Amino acid sequence: MKRLLSLLPAISSVLLLSVLAYGSSRPRYGGTVRILLHDRVMSIDPLSEEDHPAERDRLAALTFETLTTTDPAGRVRPNLASFWRPDPTKRTWQFQLHIAYFHDGTLLTAADVMASLAKSNPGWKYSAPDRQTVVIETPTPTQHMPELLAMPRYSIVKRQVDSAGATTLIGTGPYKLSQWQAGERAQFSVNDDYRNGRGFPDTVEFQMGVSLREQLLDRQLGPNAAAEVPVDQLRPLEQTNQALAVSRPADLLAIAFLQGDSSSRPGRKPVDPRVREALSLTLRRADISNALLQRKGVPASGLLPQWLTGYEFMFPAATDLQRARDIRADAAAYVVIAPIMLAYDASDPLLRQIAERIAVDAREAGIVVQPYGEAHVNSKTARASINADAVLLRLPLESVEPSVALAQRAEDLGLGDNVPAILGATRPEDLFEDERKLLENHRVIPVAHLPQAVWLNNTVHNWQQLPTGEWQLDQLWVEGAR
Amino acid sequence: MSLKTKLLLLVTISITASVGAAAWLIETRAHEAFRQVEEERTATLVSQFRREFEHEGDEIIRGVETTAGSDQMLRTTSELANGAEYANYVNEAATYAATQRLDFLDLIAPDGAIISSAHWPARFGYKQRWFLDRPGPMPDRAFLKHVETQQGSVLAMLCLRAVRIHGLNFYLIGGRKLDAVLQAISPPEGLRVSIYSAPEQGAGELMGPAKEDLSSPKAMELIQKVLAQRSEAAATIDKGADLQEEILHAIPLPGYSDRVPAVLLVGNSLEQELLLEKRIRNISLVIAGVAVFIGVIVSGVVTARVSRPIRKLAEAAGEIGQGNWDVRVETSGKDEIGRLAVAFNQMTQELIGQRERLVQSERVAAWRELARRLAHELKNPLFPLQLTVENLLRARENTPEQFDEVFRESTSTLLAEIANLKTIIGRFSDFSKMPAPQIQAVDLNEMVRSVAQLFQGQLNRDPARIGTELQLGDVPQVSGDPVLLRRVVENLVLNAIDAMPQGGTLTFRTYMNEKFAVFELTDTGAGLTPEECDRLFTPYYTTKQHGTGLGLAIAQSVVSDHHGHISVSSRKDQGTTFHVELPVYSAVTAVESGNGNDGPKFTTI
Repeated sequence: MKRLLSLLPAISSVLLLSVLAYGSSRPRYGGTVRILLHDRVMSIDPLSEEDHPAERDRLAALTFETLTTTDPAGRVRPNLASFWRPDPTKRTWQFQLHIAYFHDGTLLTAADVMASLAKSNPGWKYSAPDRQTVVIETPTPTQHMPELLAMPRYSIVKRQVDSAGATTLIGTGPYKLSQWQAGERAQFSVNDDYRNGRGFPDTVEFQMGVSLREQLLDRQLGPNAAAEVPVDQLRPLEQTNQALAVSRPADLLAIAFLQGDSSSRPGRKPVDPRVREALSLTLRRADISNALLQRKGVPASGLLPQWLTGYEFMFPAATDLQRARDIRADAAAYVVIAPIMLAYDASDPLLRQIAERIAVDAREAGIVVQPYGEAHVNSKTARASINADAVLLRLPLESVEPSVALAQRAEDLGLGDNVPAILGATRPEDLFEDERKLLENHRVIPVAHLPQAVWLNNTVHNWQQLPTGEWQLDQLWVEGAR
Repeated sequence: MSLKTKLLLLVTISITASVGAAAWLIETRAHEAFRQVEEERTATLVSQFRREFEHEGDEIIRGVETTAGSDQMLRTTSELANGAEYANYVNEAATYAATQRLDFLDLIAPDGAIISSAHWPARFGYKQRWFLDRPGPMPDRAFLKHVETQQGSVLAMLCLRAVRIHGLNFYLIGGRKLDAVLQAISPPEGLRVSIYSAPEQGAGELMGPAKEDLSSPKAMELIQKVLAQRSEAAATIDKGADLQEEILHAIPLPGYSDRVPAVLLVGNSLEQELLLEKRIRNISLVIAGVAVFIGVIVSGVVTARVSRPIRKLAEAAGEIGQGNWDVRVETSGKDEIGRLAVAFNQMTQELIGQRERLVQSERVAAWRELARRLAHELKNPLFPLQLTVENLLRARENTPEQFDEVFRESTSTLLAEIANLKTIIGRFSDFSKMPAPQIQAVDLNEMVRSVAQLFQGQLNRDPARIGTELQLGDVPQVSGDPVLLRRVVENLVLNAIDAMPQGGTLTFRTYMNEKFAVFELTDTGAGLTPEECDRLFTPYYTTKQHGTGLGLAIAQSVVSDHHGHISVSSRKDQGTTFHVELPVYSAVTAVESGNGNDGPKFTTI
């Protein structure tokens, strides 16, 4: 008993601190959350051709919702769809809709969903047995339709064209776009009528195209809640115990070789497959990951990361300079090996460093790589108009379902011929074989998998980041908000 | 060429040579002076470059040493020495380089691996061991070296410093591009500076604002020479256009090893100097031209005055040579020329006297010779005459009965000897009264053939049988008296027969030389000595037992009257050849000459 009495003050102190802590962590409504983005977004339309689709999707996710969604653990959850049911062949999927309203107050119907999905994927067939039911029929079996529909490109968007011909995009999400300056600033106001309950902040504001230096200044001085951080800047932030949200290494950093005969590349021949293979063998991926990516990235040998598929280690990624030299010499006996023009996103200093390192490594095998910055390289349209042999791309991971993610990456890389087969894969072995085929001619050379990182103000709570790097901000709240 | 012309030419050449030498000397001295100025200008610029070079080197050393000694660098190297990952320091060098305004900065691990590179961040992890593998201590001063960059090899001035911590050596290699040194130099007008960068691999290149102007095959040749010999050299570069020459000095710049990494090129345009030299040359030429002109005029007058008495002496000598012994020269002045004229006149006077004495003595000698020959010739028939008359007288006194028979024999002997005397006297008479030739066209071949035929019987007589050979060429008719010429030929044939008592061959030959028709007669007799040949045409000289010695003298007289020429050539025991050259006949001149006594005129073919 005496012993219990002697512990009483300590127990009382712990209880008091717990009460105080609960009080300070309780969500509060109101206020403005300011978030800094490194890149500029020109449109929040999920189907727009954007240089930085990941940033676009972060903005769009506040306004537009998908039929399904993924929780932080990677599991598929209902969203606008309350439940779904496939037929045995997995070619026909039926989705039952929740009761939801667009921001203009109209009820979400099956017709709205069909119209939106038809824009996203015209190759499918859609039907609506009733106002709340949508049936999707695909030409080939699709094993993971719910995971596929959780991708931002399948967001449900109502497109209204006014008399002047301007299109207004209307969503059902927790926030409504209230102010928009393309590439500069976006402000979202809370949707008070959101079916899952009102968001905590009144306003979420994005500042775009902020340089790293400005970010550092604002992090120290400004009232910002969060800011995107390049991976090579994580180390000093960690050393100063800053709050960071770092995703798993999901983004793919890869060299994608462009095909010849486009209008902007007259007479430019595709790089010989042997030279591409030799270049792949010269890369010191570990050095790139350890030094340039500050150990925040991992060397990539496949299109999907090891943590997602479990088989990436089976793709070779070792440096073999002697073999690279032999292959290059073999190629030189048959073709003239011209310098490889490697374009990278000029707005990303990290990509410039990596491209230069690729050039240094390639030089060891006698392959000349000339890196140069391009303003627009990420979209397919942009890539079709640049005069380069290859592009250093950073591709976001859009799904934690391997087949969906691989299909999306194949499509992003212009290797979409095998997409139906990939989406129809039922076993990991099939998926491995599909990925091996995508890599076998070295049109894509994986370099590294990168995480996405965000610096968070200490006042920010409930910042949720999915394994893919996507943000889920519907539960976000900020201390001291008024 | 006359003496005056020679003197004028000599003086002109002397003046021209003197003036030319003076002009050359002036130009050479001016050229040397300009070159000296040019070298001083170049030396000044090179000195300025070296100052800038050293100043830049000091700046780089200061920057690298400041970095090496900074607390942050010591902390960084300490962490690295304690096992910190190199990857954490990939971007370290960029900050230091920016602070110290260095274009290049590498932080290098003890094993030579690049930990961080300011100018090429992507190169981390690669080894850079050139300074570790170098024998000897590390260079203390800044040095030139080519630095590998993303854009290729760049010439830089570098400084190497070690940061020793926990027993390990980390290295800092920092530096700047050499462009800055070049840009700091402000060459004066006409001078240009460039640096040739010679990397260990790949082609070299010129740096600096004047690189376009200084790139030429000859400049490249000079650079290669300097790189190979590692010593300064210079060359004149012709830039093609007029006065567009340039002296290019190439100076090797030191690197961290014996190899020359770069060459400083200082181009000094010679345009101004050449312009000035051209002006000096033009002025020299004008002065020389005027001097030569005046010199020629003056020397012309002087040589005319000097050469006039000599010319008159020469004319007088020529007159004397033509037989005009009465000529005299003026004796003006008491100089060498005047004394020469006096001596000439004295010499002429003396020659005239000697000639008269010589003619007189020759005349006396001729008469003596004539008297001796005449006495000799007459003495032979007179002795039988005396004997015959004495025999007659003795027969009348001692044997009157045989007197008639003796008388008859003696009178026939007397008549024969008297006839002999008549013949002798006739020959002498003929020699003294040689008739003038009656010139007409003579067929020389026909005449020779006729004479050969005339003597055919005598030549074929045994035992001294003489063969004949006719080698008659295509010769035109000659101008001459056929009777006299025939006598000449016959005389020569008779002499030849006498020269071959044992027989032999007689060759008649005719041909044309440049001017004359030539007749040659060759025997195969005993031949003549040179002395005999010299005296052969002298009157009354003979080599035979019987003969007056007038035959060949008469032949020479006849040929000479025909304006021809006779000569003999002979070698002992190999026979003798007589050459007779006769002028070719011309109808026009024959008509113009009219009477042959006035002497014919001949046309030379």
